[in-house]
Formats: sequence, structure tokens, C-alpha cells
Amino acid sequence: MAEINCEETKRQVHEFVQEELTEGEVEMILAHIAHCDSCEADYDFEFAFSKIIKQSCDEAPPQELADRIVKRIRDINSGEEQH
Amino acid sequence: MTNVGLLESTDSPLDFELMNETPAALSSEDRVREFEELALPYTRLLFGAALNKTKNYTDAEDLVQETFAKAFRSWHQFQKGTNLRAWLIKILENTYINMYNKKVKQIGQDSLNELEDFQVGGASSLTARSNRSAELEALDRVASKDVREALQNLGEEFRMVVYYAIVEGLSYSEIAEVMDTPIGTVMSRLHRGKKALHDSLKEFAAEEGYDVTPTREKKAAEKAKRVEEE
Repeated sequence: MAEINCEETKRQVHEFVQEELTEGEVEMILAHIAHCDSCEADYDFEFAFSKIIKQSCDEAPPQELADRIVKRIRDINSGEEQH
Repeated sequence: MTNVGLLESTDSPLDFELMNETPAALSSEDRVREFEELALPYTRLLFGAALNKTKNYTDAEDLVQETFAKAFRSWHQFQKGTNLRAWLIKILENTYINMYNKKVKQIGQDSLNELEDFQVGGASSLTARSNRSAELEALDRVASKDVREALQNLGEEFRMVVYYAIVEGLSYSEIAEVMDTPIGTVMSRLHRGKKALHDSLKEFAAEEGYDVTPTREKKAAEKAKRVEEE
């Protein structure tokens, strides 16, 4: 299996965390990280960073909004609302 | 269905036409059901995106509602099996421009500068290695509202790229499509946006009194202090 260097590994950190890489790419990165503390730390950081950003943005819309949307769509469908 | 009875009584072609009308009327109802089933589960995600875009609840709700209305009218254009999330976000972006009459930014010199910045800093890590684990702990303690505030302080292009990439999990090419920008610009904005966000989160952590000195050094300092006291 071809080896990848730190630069290539670090460049793919975002796609790795977002699970956008192929199995082969993931394997190469895991093999690199296994013996590279610097890249491993980068990956740990990216995971943690993504997690706190996701958490901060996870806000439920009011139930009333869902009801409004359903009503709106049904109005459009029944022709009560013109384009 | 009442038409079945009609069909049995006569075989004239007219009755077939009559019969064909019924499924057409039904399919409109089916269309609503299908849309509600497939698209509406994205309400929470779209609301998050809208909140990040408009920065206030009333506008965010209006934007989400308009987005779904527009998406429903264009539902026949959605290609099944493609990314519905990205399709809805693209509509949200367009709706936002229409609703708030935002000028679409031209890609000019700014993007070129961004690209250079990205290439220069592209492979460098976000943090200096030495104090990273302590920093992770400190970052973890920053309140969600502070993270959100930091995010909202970013310029819109950076904020939305960070949001789409990290929270919505869109790929570089999907973001490029959704925001109508080249992929290089997306990557550059994501890199710079994350860096700016990271810097302001560090400030929040510092304000809250969490210091980001490495644990090992801290322990050594504590030990030295104890020795002094004794």
C-alpha cells in the first residue's frame, strides 16, 4: 500500500471527519496516523472542533413552524395560492 | 373507486379516459405526501442554516417556510436519488437572495487572495502542537451560545461555508454548487473561517478563565508551588 506524508494527511482532515473519503483513502490515513502523533493530534482536534460547532447549531425549530409549512404546502397544492 | 363500476358496465374508450383522470387527481395528493415524507424531515437542518444566515428567529422561520414553498413548486425537478439536502439548501440560498434582495457577490480579486492564503496555510495545522490537549479541554467548556456568537461574528461567506461543511456535512463540490463559487474558494473560506472561529473561541475560553497552558506544565507549576509552601 502506498504511503502518504503529513502534508497529504493533514490536507484531508476535513473530508475524513465528514466521512467523504473512500475506504482506500481512509486506510492510508489510519496507517499514517498510527505512527504520527502530530497528525493524530490534528485529527483529534478536528473531531472535537466539529463536535462543538455542531452542538452549538443544533436548535429545534418551533412546532408552530412545521405546522405553518404543512398548511402552506397544502394551500399551494389545492391551488389556493397562485404562483 | 366508483369508476370500477363504470368500467364493468361498458368498454367504450371514453371510460378509460375517465379512469385515467382519477389517478391524476390522486397523484397530487401523493405528491404532497411524498414531499412531506422526504423533504420535511430537513426542517430542523434548514432552520439551523436559516438561523445562521439571517441571525434572527423571525426571519429564519420565514426563510424556511418560503424555501419549502418554493421546493414544493419545483418538486418535479428534483432528481430522485440525488442529494436532497443540497438541493434544499440551494433553494434556501436563492430564496434568501430574493427575499432580502441581496446582491450576488462577484468573484474577483478577493477570491484570488483567499486562494493564495489557503495555499500558504493549507497544510499547516490549526493549532500549535504543544498545548493542544489542554486546549481541547478548554474548548469543550466554551458554552454553545458563545460558539454560536463566534460563528455569527464571521463574515457571511465564511460563516455559511463553515456551517455547510461542518454542520450540514456538504462536500466541497456541493458547497461550491450551492453557493455558486469555485471549489478553491470554498476550501479557502473553510480554512480561514475555521481559523478565525478557532481564534475567537480561544478568546472566549480565556475570558472564562480557562487557561490553555499544557497540563504537564501546569502540574509542574503546581508541584513547584507546593514545594515552595512547604
